[in-house]
Amino acid sequence: MSQAVATGDLAPSPAARPRRRFRVRAAPTLGVLILALLLVCAIVPQWVAPYAPLKFDYRATLRPPSAAHWFGTDNFGRDLLSRVIWATRIDMQIALFSTLFPVVFGTFVGCLIGYFGGIADVLFRRLVDLVITVPFLVLVIAIVAVLGPGLTNMYIAVSSVGWIFYARLIRAEILTQKRRDYAAAGRVMGYGWPRIVFRHLLPNAITPVLTYWMTDMALAILLGSSLGYLGLGAQPPTAEWGVLIADGKNFMSTAWWMSIFPGIAIVLAGVGFSLLGDAVASLFRRR
Amino acid sequence: MSALLSVQDLAIRIGAATPVDGVSFDVSEAEMLGIVGESGSGKSLTLRAILKLLPRQAAVSGRIEWAGKNLVGQSEGAIRKLRGRQIAMVFQEPMTALDPVLTIGLQITESLREHLGLRGQAADRRAVELLDLVGIPDARRRLQNYPHEFSGGMRQRVMIAIALAGEPKLLLADEPTTALDVTIQDQILKLLLRLRDELHMSVILVTHDLGIVAGTCERVAVLYAGRIMETGPVYDIFRKPAHAYTLGLMRSVPEQLQARQPLRSIPGAPPDPGRMPPGCRFAPRCSLAVTECAVPPPLVSVGDGHRSACIRADAVRVASQVPA
Amino acid sequence: MHALTHAAGRLLQIVPTVILVAVLMFGLMRLLPGDPALALLGDRATDASIARMHHEMGFDRSIWVQFWEYLRHAAMGDFGDSITMRLPVGRLILLRLPVTLMLTAMAVVLAVVMAVPLAFAAALNEGGLADTIIRMLSQLGLSMPVFYVGLILLITLAAGLGWFPVGGIGDNFWQDIYYLILPAMTLALSLTAILMRNLRESLIEVLNAEFVQFATAKGLRRSLVLGRHVLRNALISTLTLLGLNIGTLVGGAVITETVFAIPGIGRLMIDSIFARDYAVVQGLTIVLAVLVSLVFLAVDTLQAILDPRVDA
Repeated sequence: MSQAVATGDLAPSPAARPRRRFRVRAAPTLGVLILALLLVCAIVPQWVAPYAPLKFDYRATLRPPSAAHWFGTDNFGRDLLSRVIWATRIDMQIALFSTLFPVVFGTFVGCLIGYFGGIADVLFRRLVDLVITVPFLVLVIAIVAVLGPGLTNMYIAVSSVGWIFYARLIRAEILTQKRRDYAAAGRVMGYGWPRIVFRHLLPNAITPVLTYWMTDMALAILLGSSLGYLGLGAQPPTAEWGVLIADGKNFMSTAWWMSIFPGIAIVLAGVGFSLLGDAVASLFRRR
Repeated sequence: MSALLSVQDLAIRIGAATPVDGVSFDVSEAEMLGIVGESGSGKSLTLRAILKLLPRQAAVSGRIEWAGKNLVGQSEGAIRKLRGRQIAMVFQEPMTALDPVLTIGLQITESLREHLGLRGQAADRRAVELLDLVGIPDARRRLQNYPHEFSGGMRQRVMIAIALAGEPKLLLADEPTTALDVTIQDQILKLLLRLRDELHMSVILVTHDLGIVAGTCERVAVLYAGRIMETGPVYDIFRKPAHAYTLGLMRSVPEQLQARQPLRSIPGAPPDPGRMPPGCRFAPRCSLAVTECAVPPPLVSVGDGHRSACIRADAVRVASQVPA
Repeated sequence: MHALTHAAGRLLQIVPTVILVAVLMFGLMRLLPGDPALALLGDRATDASIARMHHEMGFDRSIWVQFWEYLRHAAMGDFGDSITMRLPVGRLILLRLPVTLMLTAMAVVLAVVMAVPLAFAAALNEGGLADTIIRMLSQLGLSMPVFYVGLILLITLAAGLGWFPVGGIGDNFWQDIYYLILPAMTLALSLTAILMRNLRESLIEVLNAEFVQFATAKGLRRSLVLGRHVLRNALISTLTLLGLNIGTLVGGAVITETVFAIPGIGRLMIDSIFARDYAVVQGLTIVLAVLVSLVFLAVDTLQAILDPRVDA
């Protein structure tokens, strides 16, 4: 110990742990890169896509991938690469809007239920029982059927059930945190419950929620594209990756590229969000 | 009398550090040898090296002689034949060392089956005998119990019973009582002594507690910073220490006559495994050190069966006679 | 005796949940736009015939009475009749359920068979190349939507190579299995990824545990240490995870049945929601809720059996 201080060498030299550092950095960097790429496609598709997505070309229908059309063309002669790029915006929106309300509302409600408990807690746990017994997909489809197909209704359907998972997560964390000494200290100092819950308990409890949010965005894209495939999500002519895949369903044997490439975009987005989720988790772990 | 186990110049390198460097000691038949040292002195690693239980990256050199063969460099398969059957080991924390989801009966009988080929009723009977041997009451019924259903002291006995299943000639005990209450400690130690006598089994007892060593072992090896400083009969080590470190240890034990006197510890701290001093590893903290201590001192004989790696052994002897 | 009353108590706890599910579905169905009577009668509907149909269907009574009547009949197994199929719902479910059960069972078996060796390979090689590759593949598997996997398998193995049929089911048991191989593989993929990830973590934790060192110190063969000590301990949390993912499995089954045109309860659910066939949707959800609850119960019991530390 004394030797370390004497030579002023407090941090381990980079040479001492080169391998560890590199492996930890590679995955999240990849995630950030992927998402950056997707964001660019979402925000300014017109600069990225080689063709306009609605540009029909009846002379070039169902062409396989080539130099002119990297992803081939569909049955209307539209360039698939451009359609996939333009669809990025919709799917990114799906990731965000499907999860935003659940995160905010779920965290808020979960905090209160976790802190106050009581009958609200009993009711909440019954609600959770209910939601995990009926498969999420079935519930969402049922609600969308009631409201009618479309993206907005899908967001409503997903949000109305999705917040419960966040609430459950934060409730568990709050239950742990409120037993900690700093919570008792706050009470002793006479702080009102809003201050204790939101200013003190919440920041300590938020980490798993943020990590879950990242993975949830990936799941939202999976769900959104599944509903798009079934015809319940984005409606034509809106291009969404799931819808694009469904468009290619009838051309499976003749134009496999129509279904395969949009799917690759979905996988890419999923991987990107998951890697980002891992990065968030390890970021907080190191603190 | 040839030694049962003879360790010579054992060294273990892990990465850039050499936490064990120059360990030599012998164990005879039906003898209890104590290895005493502070945390981080390398005593656990030394024991594990005997049965090749070190992490993959560890590089071992030196000699570990058992039944005429050097265990260092043997294949995993060859060492496996020794484990449990010739040499057994018990660990410090029985709650984590026992499999939580299997009954202790099963954990004993799987050893019996592996080493003695016992199955079924015969195995159960022997398992009950072993539990009786280590002093577990109501043994037959307790075969069906799980580790978490035993108290700490009982669990340690169970672990010893499992270790004895293969009828080993040598038992390696890695701080078997550190996690236990003082009264239970005493029981376990007495158990080990009884087993040594009844089963004619040798025991290497690793501990940081001098009192335990004084009460149970015939011979002791003092380990510091990965090196043996002194070995010899317990009486000699305690009454006539021949190493400055041992002297410091003896002095640091509070005695009744010193009530209300300040505790005397050895100043300083053990060296970093990556930055060992050249020569005697205790020299930086030693009040008797001289410039020659910068050269690694050899382990030499200073009496009957008593060896020390201190070139100032005479000065130590003089200092030990003087009441401090 | 104590265990039996305990189990009975747990079984009874399922009832309130199922009733809540029934309430939820009942309410949801009533909110669906469209009039089933109108849909049924089609173009020939007149006001009078619609009114008569409403009376037959019980729609002219208050919603609470309707619900109570429904529950009363449901408790005896009478879930009403399907409007579109003209069969009692109970019988319809019994006709279609076995296919879905077979599909799900095959998927679970496939997932376990694939996940266990992969998890072992990854855990024993922790931090190494094999581990990294397996984890990357697992990540990929999790990011692929079920319908996409199904389509890929269809395009390559069925339509492309012709090794498997493109959909539907066979005429007898063994043919069914053949037809369900691709769908089961589709369903199994994300489940494998989930199980593999969890089992790998469990294994790593256990492999580093002291009792594994102790078992090795006892001189046991490595295969015995792995098979008995390591696996038993690591499997517990994974089996629980399997049970908890039953909801994902059912959701996946719905999509898989759609992609492969399989006449199971997944497709029945979707078709009925769109056809406004209330009785079928309600009956199905209740049956599903009961089955899922039973699975949860089974998982809890299994956990208590495997892990003696848990208080059954």
